Amino acid sequence: MASEELHEQLHKDFSLDGKGALIIGAEHPAGRVAAIVLAEAGARVMLASQDPGTDAQLKEVLKAVQEAGADKAELRVQDAGIRADLSAAMDLAVKSFGRLDILVNALDAPWYGPADTADDSAFDQVIDNNLRTVWMSCQEGARVMLRDGGGAIVNVNSIIAQRGVVNASLYCAAKAAVLNLTRAFAMEWARAGIRVNTLQAGWLDEPASPLSVDQEFRNNLLKYLPDNRPVKAEELAGALLYLVSPAAAFVTGESITVDGALMCRV
Amino acid sequence: MILDSLKLTDRIAIITGAGRGLGRAMAVKFAQAGAHIVAASRTVAQLEITAAEVRETGRKCLVIPTDVTSSEAVNRMTAAAIAEFGRIDILINNAGGGDEEAAGKPIDQITDEQWRRGIDTNLSSQFFAARAVIPQMVRQSRGKIINIASGYGLRGAKNSYMYSCAKGGVIQLTRSLAITYAKNNLQINCIVPGIFPHNEEMMKAFKGGKFIPMGRGGDDAEVGPLAVFLASDAADHINGELVVIDGGGLAGGILPTGAVPALPG
Repeated sequence: MASEELHEQLHKDFSLDGKGALIIGAEHPAGRVAAIVLAEAGARVMLASQDPGTDAQLKEVLKAVQEAGADKAELRVQDAGIRADLSAAMDLAVKSFGRLDILVNALDAPWYGPADTADDSAFDQVIDNNLRTVWMSCQEGARVMLRDGGGAIVNVNSIIAQRGVVNASLYCAAKAAVLNLTRAFAMEWARAGIRVNTLQAGWLDEPASPLSVDQEFRNNLLKYLPDNRPVKAEELAGALLYLVSPAAAFVTGESITVDGALMCRV
Repeated sequence: MILDSLKLTDRIAIITGAGRGLGRAMAVKFAQAGAHIVAASRTVAQLEITAAEVRETGRKCLVIPTDVTSSEAVNRMTAAAIAEFGRIDILINNAGGGDEEAAGKPIDQITDEQWRRGIDTNLSSQFFAARAVIPQMVRQSRGKIINIASGYGLRGAKNSYMYSCAKGGVIQLTRSLAITYAKNNLQINCIVPGIFPHNEEMMKAFKGGKFIPMGRGGDDAEVGPLAVFLASDAADHINGELVVIDGGGLAGGILPTGAVPALPG
């Protein structure tokens, strides 16, 4: 049997041919990976930023997406903290692709500092950037998906959602809220054909990560990880594709963790 | 290319309980993804039906009648698979199920023998098979094990003892194996299926899926792609993870209808 014929069913299960996808936070490592993997799987993608002033990063991601063979790729620099920007992004995606099948929220704004000296403005800032953005984006995405008959939403999150960490109180709180907000959205829209899931990353090896800043922290952490290495952003790709693909039609309110078995031991 | 990394071309996959239900659906899906199948369960006639479906895709299927509650039988099955194919890339620990005689009985009416049979069928079987294949996978410095648990491994149910305890054990088996063999490049994960009605009777018992958030039960064919993904290179850093496929069942569940009334603030 020819290889193409053999893998025909695999293609049906996982292909995103002709689907319209919007990635918010495409300037972040997970957003970049999402954009590339969705394009590789056949989706038409719109890359939108979390923060304004990210034109250069977004253009670089757009180039990578085009090299991945994107059928159609667009770019939109915006502020995900502003509802009107998110709302406009959803409408633009529908206009460009005919409908919004997939929304990936790769929204993230890490915060590390001691709890006893943090002021209320830190609370507002961390919760706004990590939680309020996700809340607004899911609402705006669901607005068009409910109208057009469903879709798949993935919120990229961190294992920090599930455990307490010193010097990360507000970040822990915001990420935990995203995890359970995702479940609640999943319940709310289950019968309307919108699936909402979380992709939970372990400790990522990225320039902005504490691993890249503090060598002693890095060495101790690597010893602690079951396979002694951090997660590469590219390793999120498979789980991301699975969650948005037809293969996951019966999966909602779920979280898939990519962490090299770290959460097994804690 | 991501779609290429999902292919299982010429991988060797042992699937226990491959004669029916989820096991057969996974065997066919794995063959369609390119794998050769070692189909193991007790009933040869059922295995032969699975084998015929696998061979239709042009893939090989080795049928090995196996009582998975017997460690000798599981060891023999593993040895035969290695003798035939030279390697084992994937083990799917799928065999298991409820005990019609003991299911739903109050605790004081369950015999020692029924308790042991339930634990052997659903937990010891997975331990035996993992123990049998891991030395080969360690030699290969590569291997994937997918254990099939159940939502009942995470939640309690009235008069559910052997099945719930064994499936909870499967989840812990997964975690300990994952930590232990992470450095050998083995990935051991767990699929947690929700309600998958295999017949009219089950469909009726679960009221057609009315209480599942998505409003329906799962179809056996829906587990296959998840297992393919977990067995593929696309999941190489996913380890010790439980992936729930249940139409949202475990994400909610604290209310009978899933909703509180909307009240004026």
